[in-house]
Amino acid sequence: MRLKQGSLLWYLYLDKSYCLLSVRNVKALVEYFHLLDVHGKNTLNDVLFYHFLHHVTDLKKRQINLVFDMLDWSAVGEIGFEQFYVLVCILLAHQNHLEEQFMYRHSRTVFDLLDLKGDLRIGPKNFEMYRFLFNIQKQELKDLFRDFDITGDHRLNYQEFKLYTIVRINKLQKRQKKTEENAERERSLCSRKCRIK
Amino acid sequence: MEEKPSKVSHKSLDRHGSDEERKESVRSDIRDLWTTATLSQSELNTPLSDVCENFDAEGRSISQTRGWYGQGRRSLDEGDKASQKLRRSSSMEISQRKEDTASELKAEKSSSMSSLDIVKHIPHHAYWAEQQNRLPLPLIELMENEALEILTQALRSYRLGIGRDHFLTKELQQYIEGLKKRRSKRLYVIVKDTLGSGRPEPAQCHAGSPGPSLTPSE
Repeated sequence: MRLKQGSLLWYLYLDKSYCLLSVRNVKALVEYFHLLDVHGKNTLNDVLFYHFLHHVTDLKKRQINLVFDMLDWSAVGEIGFEQFYVLVCILLAHQNHLEEQFMYRHSRTVFDLLDLKGDLRIGPKNFEMYRFLFNIQKQELKDLFRDFDITGDHRLNYQEFKLYTIVRINKLQKRQKKTEENAERERSLCSRKCRIK
Repeated sequence: MEEKPSKVSHKSLDRHGSDEERKESVRSDIRDLWTTATLSQSELNTPLSDVCENFDAEGRSISQTRGWYGQGRRSLDEGDKASQKLRRSSSMEISQRKEDTASELKAEKSSSMSSLDIVKHIPHHAYWAEQQNRLPLPLIELMENEALEILTQALRSYRLGIGRDHFLTKELQQYIEGLKKRRSKRLYVIVKDTLGSGRPEPAQCHAGSPGPSLTPSE
């Protein structure tokens, strides 16, 4: 999933620590939302939402409809600004490769979004439907349910999901540390070679 | 997005009020500053610091990011001193207004002529008051262009899905037309401004007067 270059969202950015938009960015987003709010109800209906997402991303129609169903948590057929804001944060997190940080920082929100039935559990089917939003590979998803389904009910409750996000971000931090160490070793090797010469 | 207009009151522009009250009253009077924005003394009476956070009371720029303010720094100082003089003179004129309106009009004309030079250097208060609360114009333009594209596609879906005569379709169509009008007005103003700023002051020309011709006059 990629944002269209040159669109408004392409120019926005998340704070890397908290994975949220700055006040200035939110101000711009509010104006943008109001421009799309054609009928003056502070909401976007499914048609407007579809065309918005179709314009700014490369998502397919099926995926856009899934995202709408996920965000329309009150089942009113419309998306308010709160849901719009969450969507933009998810899109930006994906665009800027901050999925792990986003899921860690906002694990409760993500869990509630994926808990479509509202029974405080996420099944593998639901997670499979929405893994494209969080850049989770198929094999990774299988491993997730194998390693973190502690209760053994083939579903994840919030504690299991939170544990997964913690482990995922730990792995990311270790990967980043490893790449930094490798880069430093290469630099020191190069400098030694230069001195010998 | 739309701000509610509020009535102008001289008291709200009183510089002896508290800072917060002043700022709130100035924000609420932004529309009226625009509607009554002529080159008269009353619009110069508002201190720049009340309107714009990046300027101190003497009209000097505080913020370094807005570097181009510095170019007009000297002229701003001179302008502010002149505006203070005008303020004093205007307060006296207001008290005498009921007694002698004709003499006041003459006084205003003469002072407005001299204030033309001052106004050229002082940033327009209403403009800067608005800019404090608004997004940058290029960003608004980008948003509006994008919204237009999205809504045009949505209109097609509306027509296919619910028909041309449905009230939602008509509402969307009117909204798109309104957005296009707004955008074209803004583009017209921008073009007008850029042409106006780029050219030297045009020579006065009257309707019906012949232009320059290559043929010798008879």
